[in-house]
Amino acid sequence: MEVTLKNIGKKYEGREEFTLRGIDLKIEDQDFCVILGPSGCGKTTLLRMIAGLNSITEGDLYFNDKRVNRTPPKDRDIAMVFQSYALYPHMTVYDNMAFSLMMRKENKKFIHERVMEAAKLLELTDYLYSKPSDISGGQRQRVALGRAIVRKPKVFLMDEPLSNLDAKLREHMRVELVRLHKTLGSITVYVTHDQTEAMTMATKIVLMDDGKIQQVGKPDEFYNKPANIFVAKFIGSPTMNIIEGSMKNGKFISNDGIINVKPSKEDEESLKSYEGRKVSLGIRAERFESGGHIGDTFECTIDVVEMLGKEKILYTRLENGHELIISVPGHYEYNEGEKHSFGYDISALHFFDGETGRRIN
Amino acid sequence: MKLFRKKDDLYLSDKQPLSISGKILLIITYIILISWAVAIIWPLFQMVLSAFNGKQEQYLMLNDQFVFSLKHFEYLFNKTLFLKWAKNTILIALATAILTLIIVSFTGYAYSRYRFKGKKASLMAMMLIQAIPTFAGITAYFTMYSVISSINPAFTRQLMLVLIYAGGGIANNTFILKGYIDSISTELDDAAKIDGCSNLQVYRLIIMPIAKPMLALIALWSFIGPFMDYLLPKVLLTSPESYTLAAGLFTLINDVRTLNQPAFAAGGLLTAIPIVILFIVLQKQLVSGLSQGSVKG
Repeated sequence: MEVTLKNIGKKYEGREEFTLRGIDLKIEDQDFCVILGPSGCGKTTLLRMIAGLNSITEGDLYFNDKRVNRTPPKDRDIAMVFQSYALYPHMTVYDNMAFSLMMRKENKKFIHERVMEAAKLLELTDYLYSKPSDISGGQRQRVALGRAIVRKPKVFLMDEPLSNLDAKLREHMRVELVRLHKTLGSITVYVTHDQTEAMTMATKIVLMDDGKIQQVGKPDEFYNKPANIFVAKFIGSPTMNIIEGSMKNGKFISNDGIINVKPSKEDEESLKSYEGRKVSLGIRAERFESGGHIGDTFECTIDVVEMLGKEKILYTRLENGHELIISVPGHYEYNEGEKHSFGYDISALHFFDGETGRRIN
Repeated sequence: MKLFRKKDDLYLSDKQPLSISGKILLIITYIILISWAVAIIWPLFQMVLSAFNGKQEQYLMLNDQFVFSLKHFEYLFNKTLFLKWAKNTILIALATAILTLIIVSFTGYAYSRYRFKGKKASLMAMMLIQAIPTFAGITAYFTMYSVISSINPAFTRQLMLVLIYAGGGIANNTFILKGYIDSISTELDDAAKIDGCSNLQVYRLIIMPIAKPMLALIALWSFIGPFMDYLLPKVLLTSPESYTLAAGLFTLINDVRTLNQPAFAAGGLLTAIPIVILFIVLQKQLVSGLSQGSVKG
């Protein structure tokens, strides 16, 4: 099974602008594809278009080789889990799960087997005859999942299914979902605005912003090779430090001259054509080196220290007030108000075109 | 003993204790409410009393004499067309309730879930037209009736009445049902569509069961309407055979030939029975709010 989106666009009735445009995407068999993006970027619209709940204004949607633009949702062999769960309040848990099979006029025995199978998998057997209003949020979430899996569809669509759960349960369900995905061996398309969910669960992340795809790839590519400044800033916590500057004599020099770094050999190659042009340097908080005996360094004052246990996040300021976020192991001694020098791990520098924001190296 | 005292003295209400003026106001409020209640209950009580009072003759007399008897009921059943009127009314009321439910189901659902041209304008128009009393259209009803009945003689005046009642209720009830369905998450519709429902099935299997309390209320209101209305049946229905209860019973107090006021009281009492039964049957539906727990936790 493959889901292919070709140049898909969506314009809502009564809107001037296209909400989405020019979306090209290929989701392969057994992919756990996470569509990630800030709110209002059109990710839910995209999911609803794959589900058939929203019409497709332009472009083509293929399931395998079949164009399904006009196929109604029920004939697409999909199942969807909603953010609000959308359980039918007047039916028992059992009926909720059996509903889709009942609508397909399967025989009773078959339905019972499937429902029991799903209930066992999701540990719902004790609540099968309760109403949704009588069970807890986590259980409702599992019923919503159960309703999706009883039919064994080819494609699972999930619209921020974990956002209504508390932090502990969410962590637990993340693992459950991945396990479920592996057991079922189908395609999962998962919409979220939470980068942790995306990084931990996905085999493929699609990062969207402003109705366009910013980058498609594996989670580690997102972290280590962000395609542009937006991606670099969106992924990773704390946010990546971005320093604006330009290239001079093969060295990166920030606008205020405080930061200057000599890039590594490989980076130098790709930066050659940028000599004298505007370039942004990105560096992750944990890729600063403390000690200051390796290459270029800079000095900064520690403003705030956030103690997270295994690491400390230092919010520091350069002489001119520019803020840099630096993370160091938790047992290192750093205090607010102190001045320290830090170096750079030059193999982990990200260079972006100063005008377009695209990645250079 | 002292301990108990203390317990009694504890002020447990969440509201601030009343000041003297507050207490006076409270007493006045109670006096108003009680006198209001008496004003409503006393005539009802008199009606019940007269209905069972054997001493009452053709005219109602408010005196102390009371002998229990069912003779007014006997009169009602044997000498008047009461049973026929009751049957007419119940049939008309049932037909009205069912017709209203069917029409309003469609309109309420459509107005709540679909976007179409003129949605707002038509809703406003319906609301405005509703402001004109139904009775103002009586000449039009007559013309419509004569046109339809000349084509199809089976179309009785009672059917016309059903149409008027059901049609008259559409606007208000559509508003009410639309509001209720608006409060049901559209994600339920989406889920049902993915589960394999057509639009009608979404309404029948998902929305309708959830909107049951509101539908029960609408059914009840449309059912009660024909019991209460006097004017339209009086004007539209011509023979006593086809009268509804309100129109029929009225002949017992305004026509000298058939005058029997205690029987009117007895009839009024009996009229209340089907409505009370309906209230009891639908009580559970009217009170419950089923849609809790459908979404979120």
